[in-house]
Amino acid sequence: MAEALEQAVETVEPDTTTQPLSTEEAGVLPPEPEQTNAPAEAGNNDQHPPAALKGRYLIFPAMSLPELNSPTAPAFTVEDRKEPARNLFALVCSPVVPTATQTMFKIRNASISGLMPLIDFGSVFWSPSGQKCMVIIFERPMGGRFLDSFGKNPAHISEYEVGAKFVDQLIPALKRLEGMGLVHRAVRLENLYFMDEEQQELVFGECVSSPPGHDQPIVYESLERAMAMRSGRGTGTIEDDLYALGILLVFLLISKNPVQKLSDDEIIAGKSQEGSYQFLCSKERVPLQLIEVIRGLLADDPEERWTLESIGRWIEGQKPHITQRKSIVKARGPFEFMGREYYSPRIVAHVLSQNVSDAVKVVKKGTLEGWLRKSLEMSDLAEAISGLITFCKVHEGKPEASDDVFISKVCMLLDPQAPIRFKGFSFTPSGFGTAYAAEYLRKGSFQIQGEIIARDLFGYWASIQTSSNAETSEMLKTFNTLRSFAKLNEMGYGMERCLYELNRKLPCQGELLVHEFVDEIDDLLPTLDRISDETDKNARPIDKHIAAFIATHFNHDIQPHLKALCSPVENSSLIGLLSLYALVQWRQAHENLFGLSSWIGGLLQPAIGTYHSRTTQHAIEQEIPSLVRQGSLPDLFDLIDNADRRNSDALAFKQAQFNFSTTEAEIQSIVGEDVDQDQVALEAGEKATAMFAVVSAMIATTIIIFVMMM
Amino acid sequence: MSEQDQQQNQRRSSALTWVLLVGTFLVVLAGPTMVVLFFGLLPTFVAYIIDRSKGKSATFSVGSVNFIGVFPYIVQLWGGENTFNAALMITTDLVAMLVMYAASAFGWLIFLALPTLISSFVVIMQQRKVAQLRGEQKELIEEWGPHVADLVEQQRAVEQEHHMEHAFKKPA
Repeated sequence: MAEALEQAVETVEPDTTTQPLSTEEAGVLPPEPEQTNAPAEAGNNDQHPPAALKGRYLIFPAMSLPELNSPTAPAFTVEDRKEPARNLFALVCSPVVPTATQTMFKIRNASISGLMPLIDFGSVFWSPSGQKCMVIIFERPMGGRFLDSFGKNPAHISEYEVGAKFVDQLIPALKRLEGMGLVHRAVRLENLYFMDEEQQELVFGECVSSPPGHDQPIVYESLERAMAMRSGRGTGTIEDDLYALGILLVFLLISKNPVQKLSDDEIIAGKSQEGSYQFLCSKERVPLQLIEVIRGLLADDPEERWTLESIGRWIEGQKPHITQRKSIVKARGPFEFMGREYYSPRIVAHVLSQNVSDAVKVVKKGTLEGWLRKSLEMSDLAEAISGLITFCKVHEGKPEASDDVFISKVCMLLDPQAPIRFKGFSFTPSGFGTAYAAEYLRKGSFQIQGEIIARDLFGYWASIQTSSNAETSEMLKTFNTLRSFAKLNEMGYGMERCLYELNRKLPCQGELLVHEFVDEIDDLLPTLDRISDETDKNARPIDKHIAAFIATHFNHDIQPHLKALCSPVENSSLIGLLSLYALVQWRQAHENLFGLSSWIGGLLQPAIGTYHSRTTQHAIEQEIPSLVRQGSLPDLFDLIDNADRRNSDALAFKQAQFNFSTTEAEIQSIVGEDVDQDQVALEAGEKATAMFAVVSAMIATTIIIFVMMM
Repeated sequence: MSEQDQQQNQRRSSALTWVLLVGTFLVVLAGPTMVVLFFGLLPTFVAYIIDRSKGKSATFSVGSVNFIGVFPYIVQLWGGENTFNAALMITTDLVAMLVMYAASAFGWLIFLALPTLISSFVVIMQQRKVAQLRGEQKELIEEWGPHVADLVEQQRAVEQEHHMEHAFKKPA
């Protein structure tokens, strides 16, 4: 099973870049078969039997549907046992990519017009990968992928079809999602489907098998999110969906992706220096009547971007609202870095973040400061950077003044709206949670995330924002809480706690549970109970992940239990483990955890040893099997840590100690080191002899008196 | 001479004064008896002088048996002519003196033989007692584990510490 996970990890594309998919895939040509990192498809049915979700949906590993694959989740045929006539398919999610589970809960059976219906979801044992995976059941789009409907021809729609046949069908989905407090964040050509065989009902595909924006080619993402790593692009807003819709419309109207051959960095550079619309459409013929729509949707400033209302007005034929565009900040002279010239602080920040060692030299030399003063007249910004340089000189050698931290802060100053970038880890504040999880799932390490929290990079980011809103304050509060958790490297805290606090629907990654997909506290103990037979029973059924998972999801005070669990004394730690699990079993009303009770019962010898009386220990040992047969951890805990029994044992032990001490004193008085036993015996003999003589004399005297008197 | 020795000497001289006073008083009241007692108990006085045992066990042993030898002659004195002449007659009677001194010799014999026998018996009794106590301790350890002896160990450690402190302080 571990090998399967390793394989899955190896097949995942690196996430530290900002490249989600090749630009070819982002184009209008039918995409190449996508490489997914989800569990492998099965060879035959015998080897891999169908997996059943909730006893109703049978998913067939041997019957893949590559035409419906998502970038990180392959599609498979599904049979509904209750309604066999239903056309369904399932996406089997990758265990190393977090899913948008909260969104799934909200859109399940919600019947959203313009969105592929999500029927159900849950975890099943996926035999090809030998572990449990998240499976999402959708209604099958019978008309297939929108792009496939064009065959080998480039996808195209005319300007007359945009409104009625295209936007009209899709906008209701975005509107409904916005009403539900959700965003789609997977608006792209490859993710459009026809639900009917006649290919009339166009819908957006799924948006839940990966984090928001994770699968989007970079060109579909607004500049701020494009600069972040795939998993760190953040939840986003309706404006991000509308931006992607604008890109999608451009590609369809001009029948191609005009930036198909450009690299991701070139796309980011182009968008930041020219603006998205100018960069994509300046050399293309966009139909005149759609220019304002496209310009509105591709506005780089979210405040200037068209809203759903603007589109509604446009569909109704009203005159579009024309907003005054802000001009892009452009320097009078170039900033030269690594042999290239840059004119915008935004792109300068982007390139500096990608070449830290060279960037440090340039910035500390004062070149950047000079450019900001002379070419951009941004003396305040130059002063702030100068302040950072001074700070680094004063704190030289300390972690908070390291090159990576320094350049990260310089980049934040140059482009406050951009993602936080640190050691190749780039994320928007709202995307930190998913980026944190994705990085851990991929590398199994908290190194960079830990440094970001420890160096308080988010705090710095928040301090330089020109406009502070409630969301930023809330995030700042969250980050401060995370810092306090991260500082405590104990069971129930540390980086593991941060992982689950940020990703509440992430399955527990504990060594014992990593293949079991436990994402609810309710499933934790039953799963441990189930796997107890296959596990080494000498190992404890807990680790830092499981403790952190419980601390995050269990809504009761478990502080004393965690404290005991962390104790370096083995028996206290065992009692902490038992008390914690007993509390969870009692509160969650789990019944009959035979396996887990037996497992923990077998580990309790050191805890039983905390009783001094061997008789009590023996009695407890005798009683454990009967409690194990009841499967009750609270009863087991009551047996092991009964307050009355413990008190009486302690009192009796003190009495025994006193008795031992008294006995020892008595022995020492007889055979102690300072005592000459023979001398003492001789003295006793002499005394006894003297006594004997005196008594004899008294008797003899009396007899003599009587004899003389007679 | 230390203050302690001075006090001891004072106590001795005071006791001697009392003995002389009481002796004189008794000589005045019962002179013949005191003469017989003096000569008859001479071995006891000797035993008192040479006795180094604690509690003067030898003196009590010899004295008691010696008294048994002397007492019949005192009773004889009390029952007959209770004069100094009669007392001197007894003290000059070889048989009487032989009886008195033989009794004291028997007293010495008892004192020399009996304590060794009794001490052997006492040693055996003590060994049995220690074995019984050790058995009780073993039972406590079996029931409560080795930590039941912690208090004793602590006490030992404290005593050892005191010894060490004492040893360091002594030279000063």
